[in-house]
Amino acid sequence: MTTFTLSVNLHGCSVELREREAPELLGRYSYGKYLYFGIERILALLDRHTVKATFFVPGFEAVSDPGLIREVAAAGHEIAAHGYLLEDHSQLGEREPELLARAHDALCRATGQAPQGWRAPDGMLSRQTMRHLAALGYMYDSSFQDDDHPYRHAAEEGGLVEVPQNEMLIDATLFNARQTHDRVLKNWTEEFAGLQSEGCYGCMTLHPRPDYGVGRPSRIELLDTFLRHIRRAHPEVGFATCLEVARAAAA
Amino acid sequence: MHGRWPDNAQCVVTLTVDFDGTSKETGLGQMPLGKFSHGRYSARRGVPRYLGLFKKHRVPATFFVPGFDAEQTPDVVRAISDAGHDVGAHGYLHESFSVGDQEPILLRKTHRILTEVLGRPPVGWRTPGGGKSLLTLRTLKELNYIYDSSEKDNDLPFFPEVDGEVLMDFINLPDNTSSLDDFPFYRVSYTPPSEVLAHWKQEFDATYKEGGLFDLIVHPRTGFGSGSPTRAGVVDQLIDYIKTFPGIVFFRMDELARWCIANPHLWEKGSPKRSALR
Repeated sequence: MTTFTLSVNLHGCSVELREREAPELLGRYSYGKYLYFGIERILALLDRHTVKATFFVPGFEAVSDPGLIREVAAAGHEIAAHGYLLEDHSQLGEREPELLARAHDALCRATGQAPQGWRAPDGMLSRQTMRHLAALGYMYDSSFQDDDHPYRHAAEEGGLVEVPQNEMLIDATLFNARQTHDRVLKNWTEEFAGLQSEGCYGCMTLHPRPDYGVGRPSRIELLDTFLRHIRRAHPEVGFATCLEVARAAAA
Repeated sequence: MHGRWPDNAQCVVTLTVDFDGTSKETGLGQMPLGKFSHGRYSARRGVPRYLGLFKKHRVPATFFVPGFDAEQTPDVVRAISDAGHDVGAHGYLHESFSVGDQEPILLRKTHRILTEVLGRPPVGWRTPGGGKSLLTLRTLKELNYIYDSSEKDNDLPFFPEVDGEVLMDFINLPDNTSSLDDFPFYRVSYTPPSEVLAHWKQEFDATYKEGGLFDLIVHPRTGFGSGSPTRAGVVDQLIDYIKTFPGIVFFRMDELARWCIANPHLWEKGSPKRSALR
């Protein structure tokens, strides 16, 4: 039986603030401010499908609006870590432990709970990242794209469980390539069928944004169509959060 | 019924054409010759084709014109206005790059050119290529503009905040350059026109259902644009499709802006807030 995860990278203005100051988030730098519309639609869709998801939240977003993160958690979704301001962790050097701790604390303060999982912003890690995460008590990572099933990293690399992502099921892959709705749906359904035929694990990654995410009305409809297709064509599929997948793999 | 639009319409449609003639290549330091001649098509073929298309459908539209293009082909720009369409400003040399403190000078220059060509001042602006700064709206306000169509953080009109103050006599009419613009499909993904048509119909369906603003962005050029018969045919078929729905109104952007400003209670003030979650 296939297990499937819906994960959401909660990218708001943290994306643009890496390049610009807050008052200048205008024009092509204004996409991040769409966050609330995208989150509202994603939460409503998850509720309609009775699926619990994992939200990877940059520390900055949790500090700038902790109430939003609490609302997501109160709806039963998992909150996991995702950098502070979406840093490139391959370039942080000695600053990395401090930034990981800062992001960790931001989520703890917002939700009252320590996150168990982490995902690298833009998929970029250093050789040390996993060991730092282990030291902070993280149980799993969800940044690699090197397996069809969860696995455990070597003990000398921190020993975390890996909940692998799938490039073709990251919405940004196809939206950045400006694929039409029909082609995106075709890509997703064919990818899913292949995973399902071999009993693989599948992790889908979504963004609440209007540019490379599913935030807009037409793309939420697209996601809705895909989820209804899964339920109809593959009724045996079970949905689980990243943490549930990691726990099952660790057992 | 959300009661958001004039005449209790379900959905408002703005057809917008970004002129992007030889200003585009010239601004990038390319001679508009040979393989860089796509912008010349706008004035020669693309704009006349769209004027014919809109006349056939009896729908008003909005054209955003760079100042340089208005200097090069003033008769074509006047013909747009004479046909009953809104003409807004769109940079001088289609500056999609940062121009620093030169920005107010360039905005004023284009404003002067369009005012001369049209015989009246333009009241709307759209960023060429998405660039915008803190100077942009300050300058547009000084020039008495009433709308900007450049922001990507809302699906509906909203009153922008400038220097800590929400403007109530100036409205943002957001544009969706990811999904309702021809450039990404004809240049980035080289999607066949029939598939672009299907995609835009789906965009319309979802916007209509939410009672939204459907703002289509096309360019009358060859290359990345929709000037050619095949791609203008996509717009033709899309308008046919939209017209089969009840409760549709086609608006010029200046007219929509005036209506929004006259009904301020309907629109958000400043950046989106978490109240959107309810």
